[in-house]
Amino acid sequence: MSYDVTVIGSGPGGYVAAIRCAQLGLKTAIIEKYDTLGGTCLNVGCIPSKALLDSTEHFHNAETTFKEHGININKPKADLGQMIKRKDGVVKATCDGIDYLMKKNKIDVFHGVGSFRDKNTIIVDGKKKEEIETDKVIIATGSKPSSLPFIKIDKKRVITSTEALKLKEIPKHMIIIGGGVIGMELGSVYARLGSKITVVEFLDSIIPTMDKTMGKELQKATKKLGFEFLLSHKVYEVKTSAKEVVVKAESTKGEKVEVKGDYCLVSIGRRAYTDGLGLDKVGIPTDKAGRVEVNDHLQTNVPNIYAIGDVIKGAMLAHKAEEEGTLVAESIVGQKPHINYLLIPGVVYTWPEVASVGYTEEQLKEDGRAYKTGSFPYKALGRARASMDIDGLVKVLADKNTDEILGMHIIGARAADMIAAGVTAMEYRASAEDVARMSHAHPTYMEAVKEACLAATENRPIHI
Amino acid sequence: MSLAMKVPAVGESITEVTISQWLKKDGDIVEMDEVICELESDKATFELTAEAAGKLIVKAEEGDTLEIGAVICEIDDSAAPKKDEPKEEKTEKTESKPEATGEVHEMKVPAVGESITEVTISSWMKNDGDVVALDEPIAEIESDKATFELTAEVAGKLQILAKEGDTLEIGAPICKIEVMEGVSASDAPSSSSSSEEKSSADSTSSDSYAAGHPSPAAAKILSEKGIDPSDVKGTGKDGRITKEDAEAAQKQTTQKTASESQPASTDSSERGQRREKMTSLRKTISKRLVSVKNETAMLTTFNEVNMKPIMDIRSKYKEKFKEKYEVGLGFMSFFTKACCIALQEWPAVNGQIDDEEMVYSDYCDVSIAVSTPRGLVVPVIRNAEKLSFEGIEKEIIRLATRARDGKLSIDEMQGGTFTITNGGIFGSMLSTPIINAPQSAILGMHNIVQRPIAENGEVVIRPVMYLALSYDHRIIDGRESVSFLVRVKELLEDPTRLLIGI
Repeated sequence: MSYDVTVIGSGPGGYVAAIRCAQLGLKTAIIEKYDTLGGTCLNVGCIPSKALLDSTEHFHNAETTFKEHGININKPKADLGQMIKRKDGVVKATCDGIDYLMKKNKIDVFHGVGSFRDKNTIIVDGKKKEEIETDKVIIATGSKPSSLPFIKIDKKRVITSTEALKLKEIPKHMIIIGGGVIGMELGSVYARLGSKITVVEFLDSIIPTMDKTMGKELQKATKKLGFEFLLSHKVYEVKTSAKEVVVKAESTKGEKVEVKGDYCLVSIGRRAYTDGLGLDKVGIPTDKAGRVEVNDHLQTNVPNIYAIGDVIKGAMLAHKAEEEGTLVAESIVGQKPHINYLLIPGVVYTWPEVASVGYTEEQLKEDGRAYKTGSFPYKALGRARASMDIDGLVKVLADKNTDEILGMHIIGARAADMIAAGVTAMEYRASAEDVARMSHAHPTYMEAVKEACLAATENRPIHI
Repeated sequence: MSLAMKVPAVGESITEVTISQWLKKDGDIVEMDEVICELESDKATFELTAEAAGKLIVKAEEGDTLEIGAVICEIDDSAAPKKDEPKEEKTEKTESKPEATGEVHEMKVPAVGESITEVTISSWMKNDGDVVALDEPIAEIESDKATFELTAEVAGKLQILAKEGDTLEIGAPICKIEVMEGVSASDAPSSSSSSEEKSSADSTSSDSYAAGHPSPAAAKILSEKGIDPSDVKGTGKDGRITKEDAEAAQKQTTQKTASESQPASTDSSERGQRREKMTSLRKTISKRLVSVKNETAMLTTFNEVNMKPIMDIRSKYKEKFKEKYEVGLGFMSFFTKACCIALQEWPAVNGQIDDEEMVYSDYCDVSIAVSTPRGLVVPVIRNAEKLSFEGIEKEIIRLATRARDGKLSIDEMQGGTFTITNGGIFGSMLSTPIINAPQSAILGMHNIVQRPIAENGEVVIRPVMYLALSYDHRIIDGRESVSFLVRVKELLEDPTRLLIGI
């Protein structure tokens, strides 16, 4: 068989690349190691975690706010088995959707491990061994949870995000190593179900890549859920017995602590996954972090081979991979697309949600850029009070001289959806006043964005 | 990835082309739409433009003859130039800062074409005091025939002498340039890319930081067209470049390539020779000219024309004509008209020999010789006998523009019955033109010179043009040719005859 393009990996980067290639008239094949398409995002990442986050959020509301809303029910009982079953249904429906999209776009799907024989030949090792001749190759093999050398992931007590999405019981005390996005999201799931959560984070803030205000606010909000935090703590030992995990950590000041729990979630990040791909056969190098090296066109040192998504540098985000998939497909046919990496938003699906785009205040300070800040709290919003979602704020950073929006950071209900407005504004290089002068429907959460922009413009919010 | 570029279909009945010249070398980084190569068919020369930006991989040598559809080169767009990567040529040139040499060069209105005596400055593309590079377009000049760009004759600081809208005679000073050394195009800020100038020159576009910022879709389109966003005027809020702006944007014409492609002038103290391959256009021209000389019985008859009456009519009606028809009243319409009348009276001059037969046409398809950078071309004014003065002038402008841009189709150059050529634009007093085969006669116009002539027994000074008619004696007798030329003279010296047909 011979193709114009072969995509290895069917996650959001790979399948989007394949569809865009097919749309552009290229004969396209996609290779997936697992039985279902969709990669980490659909199977063990974004989608299943959101399914559990939504279920547990409902449960949490039933426990905490229904009474205030005037809904009297018996004390609700969490059925984790049902939650996980529902999640599996959501995952299956979404993965089936990808199967449909492949058929619709006449993309040939191969199941098996794809590896290079040479730069134009891919071996698919599945139920049978097949060989694909191809003009171009897109590596989209994604990433795997990473760990520390001294931690043994037994997948029973010491687990990764993959196992955390299918636990059989609600943990009594889950120790989470790493206060990043994954740790905070999965911690929220179990905190809402009653687990005690202890987050051990090496840095001095949770979600450390985001604006510091966001980390601080999220820490406050999750503390209410029963999270405990050990910030600036370095884990140096994880011991397991049949029913217990003991995590030992040391603070930057040298104080040693020992935390005992029944589960330990290791969520210190993910690493690029290229095992068995045979990069050595074609001479493509990887960097220290194991990532495939690419140029600005996402092309490897072998000109007909491209790489996208988690397997290359940059934020490990599904939507970043999707943009890259599109970019490569269009580049292959000679178009000249461009990605503005600064404007790829980051989102944390806790409740309140956190979403952010552009520069953080810390980055602007470090760059010595003259900026101004405007923020507006959710609790001053009529809409937020009506729904009892008053935790959160919108923070807008703008250039001190030109008023151009340089960053938008939101923590609060529906932040994940609202951040798109920030991306749009910033793609057009809107000023804070531009957004402040646009009509925002009332009553909505988006009014907080408008008010924060008013505050950034010349500190003249209306409702505070 | 590499994009293979193939020889495009350039015209019916053309099956192969020859590569006359590579304007870019193997390994050069080329921009999209940049002219990379000159191709020739036996009929005309074409420019091949890059279909993508990137590194050029030449697949065929100069002189190679390729079939339509054959791969001529590849462009590796992975090597497309990046913004922040200064091009080689720029770095070379910008090493030295421009330095004034103290010399001031005066630029005059150049002789721009057939019988054009004056031009109007339609716009200055540079401001007074701007630093301009050699061959950089500095002004747009309009004659009654066409608009063209005036390019800087030396590099340096511009001093404008004539304002926009001024009408100047050929040879009148138009600007001065204080000669500076080491000026490159990158030193000379172009009025479109300099935001400072923009804000001072154009008060409507605000000085917003976002002016010229392309939307995501616009950025992609511009990138694919190879256009720098700074060359596009944004119509969006605060001067942002919208998708529509990007779609409408056109690449600045590759003005530079013409000058760049010229061989570097050799040092005057050295003696040298240069050998160039004949282009196939040049080969075709030479073959045909020699065969005309060999196969026809060609000779030339002369006469002279007092141009005063026509010049009087022109100066009297020039403005009104232009106002009404939006085209200048030139000499060519008078000559074409006069020839058409004379051709119909002396059909042999309009005829041609086809093997053992003689063909006479009752229409006059007049070929006009136009000099282009690639050589002489002769587009045809069809049914010139039926056209008004206005119609002729407009057709000439259309054909001359297309000729200059190298866009003439083969149809537009074939099938004339008679040719007019004007050596006068280059200053020729008298010449014996060669017939444009298979036609039988050609009229040569020459320069207009104030000469003493006898009028009613008195010596007077009149603007006089000598006319030459070369003809094929095999089909045209002396009586016919001479009478034809006398008739043309009569009609030109007394243009009222054109009106009443006497």
